[in-house]
Amino acid sequence: MDTLTEELKNKLIEILNLTDVSPEDIDENEQLVGGELGIDSIDVLEMVVMVEKEYGVVINNKEIGEKVFSTLAALAEYIHSNSPRLSS
Amino acid sequence: MNRNNVYIAGAGILSPLGIGLEATEKALRENRSGIGPLGVFSIRHPPALPVAEVQELADSPLPRTHTLAIQAALQAMGDRREAPDAIILGTTTGGILSTEQLLTDKVQNPQKYSYHGLSTVAEAVARQLRCPGKALTVSTACSSGAVAISLALKMLQSGKAEWILAGGADSLSHLTYFGFHSLQLVDPGGSKPFDKNRQGMSVGEGAALLLLTTTKPEKPLAQLLGAGLSCDAYHAAAPQPQGKGAAKAMQTALENAGLTADDIDYISLHGTGTADNDRAEAKAVSDLFPQPPPLSSIKGATGHGLAAAGAIEAVVAALAIEKSFLPANTGYREADPELQLTPLDKPVSHSTAAVLSNSFGFGGNNGCLIIGRPDTFAAVRPLLQSAPLSILGTSCISGAGNKEASMSRLLQGKSMAGMLDLDAISKNLPTRKIRRLKRLSRLALSLAAAAYDDSGLTQPPKSVFMGTGWGALSETYDFLKKLRDTEEQFPSPIDFVGSVHNSAAGQVAIMFGSTMANITTSGGDYSFEQAVLAAETMLDDTSPPAFVLSADEGHDQFSPLFDPSIQPGAPLADGGGGFCLCRKAIPGKVALQIPFYRPAAAPGVLDALVNALGGAERLRNQNGLILAGIPACSSKDGEQQLLEFLNKTMLSVPVLHYREMSGEFASASALAAVMAVHFLETGLFPPPLASQGREGLLPAAKKVLVLGLGTTITAMEFWIQ
Repeated sequence: MDTLTEELKNKLIEILNLTDVSPEDIDENEQLVGGELGIDSIDVLEMVVMVEKEYGVVINNKEIGEKVFSTLAALAEYIHSNSPRLSS
Repeated sequence: MNRNNVYIAGAGILSPLGIGLEATEKALRENRSGIGPLGVFSIRHPPALPVAEVQELADSPLPRTHTLAIQAALQAMGDRREAPDAIILGTTTGGILSTEQLLTDKVQNPQKYSYHGLSTVAEAVARQLRCPGKALTVSTACSSGAVAISLALKMLQSGKAEWILAGGADSLSHLTYFGFHSLQLVDPGGSKPFDKNRQGMSVGEGAALLLLTTTKPEKPLAQLLGAGLSCDAYHAAAPQPQGKGAAKAMQTALENAGLTADDIDYISLHGTGTADNDRAEAKAVSDLFPQPPPLSSIKGATGHGLAAAGAIEAVVAALAIEKSFLPANTGYREADPELQLTPLDKPVSHSTAAVLSNSFGFGGNNGCLIIGRPDTFAAVRPLLQSAPLSILGTSCISGAGNKEASMSRLLQGKSMAGMLDLDAISKNLPTRKIRRLKRLSRLALSLAAAAYDDSGLTQPPKSVFMGTGWGALSETYDFLKKLRDTEEQFPSPIDFVGSVHNSAAGQVAIMFGSTMANITTSGGDYSFEQAVLAAETMLDDTSPPAFVLSADEGHDQFSPLFDPSIQPGAPLADGGGGFCLCRKAIPGKVALQIPFYRPAAAPGVLDALVNALGGAERLRNQNGLILAGIPACSSKDGEQQLLEFLNKTMLSVPVLHYREMSGEFASASALAAVMAVHFLETGLFPPPLASQGREGLLPAAKKVLVLGLGTTITAMEFWIQ
């Protein structure tokens, strides 16, 4: 899980072009959308694409999306439980 | 003639409901939807989402958008033989559907991409109708059609034209189909606006054009009573949640028409069917109309025709008035209690005198039109445009850097062509806010920030007029590349939002809180001139200051394919110019006007140019310097035009070929305009390139003329007041 969380932090910085943020700046338990990082709905959609592409996990439902993207920890947890590519 | 009265003399329409007014009316009366399976192109991973396609479109060697627009134009013109004075067309896709195929086929011949540019649609219509006047292109995403009609209304009221063909056209494309899909904005069951279970829009296509005139026709379809533009200045793609921008556009349209909310008999809603749009629009309508009149969105029937949508709905509004019926909100079944809005669930017969038609788009670009029964409402107050446009501040970006660096290089007689490093462009911009923005948006923001800084204004400009020849090439390229590389599975929603031509102007509005008109024009090498024309048309004596910007980005893959002035393999140049200006006489400040814009093919174009500039004698008395813009692709014609102009006027003033200094890019004329202002303010102008001479001295009280030559002839004049 820790590896996945770290991996997600790096991917987030890359796909959202958070050039002034380093992985250790991101607290995985902090609010992800609308929080410190300035992440909004379009960023969430970009993450949806990344999660599906990289982990084979489809998030196309608003209610699930809101829960999954509440924090980075929640996202890691959801991917961990649903990804066919991560056998735990 | 009362030029405040603008009539709809004719209308042409192609939508998924059918071709022509009769077919459209029939489908609307039957409450039939045109949403269905995708047929225009195939996708790699069916099943495809439902779309709204125009059926039985005539075959043509031109791209689909062009064909749609020409067919609509021919319908709108009807039996009228005389060409309109101008054509103003809204489009977001241009020739992209054809470009996508060429890219897939790895075609490297630039000539094959000659219909890619947005401006080629209006130009194709102009050629078809032999229109000798302006062919202007507006690209404000899904409000393009309505904004084009608004611009036409003001141009007619200003007396600069008597007949204008205006509207919008867009075809389906991979870019829009997959783009809206990537934003999860497409309803898999087909669009059902305002329904409790709505899940999005249906991406569509179509074209509609209105023949507008201040000369009262024998049987006008309807009258165009007013228009209101606004910008949310809130978010690149999502509407302001309270619908503030939407309400402001509606309110402005009402005031412009001299009407109140009580006068409106029917509201044609934008109603795309997305959760956010419909919620924001419902709030805006409830705010302005405590007891709303009958209302509906026809997008459950037509789908969302993007740039065509506002024009299609304007035509339907005219039909509703003429035929006394109101179309249904097709697809609507279950009320959404959150919206407190009850659209018509079936078509009704209803005598209607005034319709409000809403269009909203990405970038928070809002355009509302009011269409009424002819000669039913009193004429509105005239457009007041007595003062000149005064330039309060300028900025530019070239390969040499900012204005200071560029002008310093210029006065040494050296070229400033090149591409400035992205970090240097972004230097004064907030890192977090621009993280999603690529080159064009950063150029625009940087230009706006520097022009505002230079203006000394204490409040930022409220409206934005922006020209761009090729739009956001980086985002468009990256979106299509990722789409292809991932077998159509994982395109980037961020790139799609950034790919629209008006994304840069939308970002400027967000950064500066510019909530009034926000118009992006695209006219190839004359895009800046089109932005100036839009500003000159829209700004009246009461308008607060405005931004006028133009920028283009150099792109390694796309620029040599699309821009015929760029030789494959040659180093790229890009940049642009920015202005803060207002319509107010300010002694000591440089003023700007654009008295001429016509296709070079128009008969007697150079004589008309000399006349528009006040005649040869006046030119000889007043002109001190010419900055000539001859795009490399038209060098032979351009040089010939310049020679003829000089012969006709017997002008013997220095002529600077500014593209030799700026490099070849579509917005180079904006850089030339900044040069003109700088020369007037300092009294100096540079020696010819590659000479060892000193800079020249501009005689006091002389004007600087910036000429655009080539396929279009344009003239901008600058002078110190």
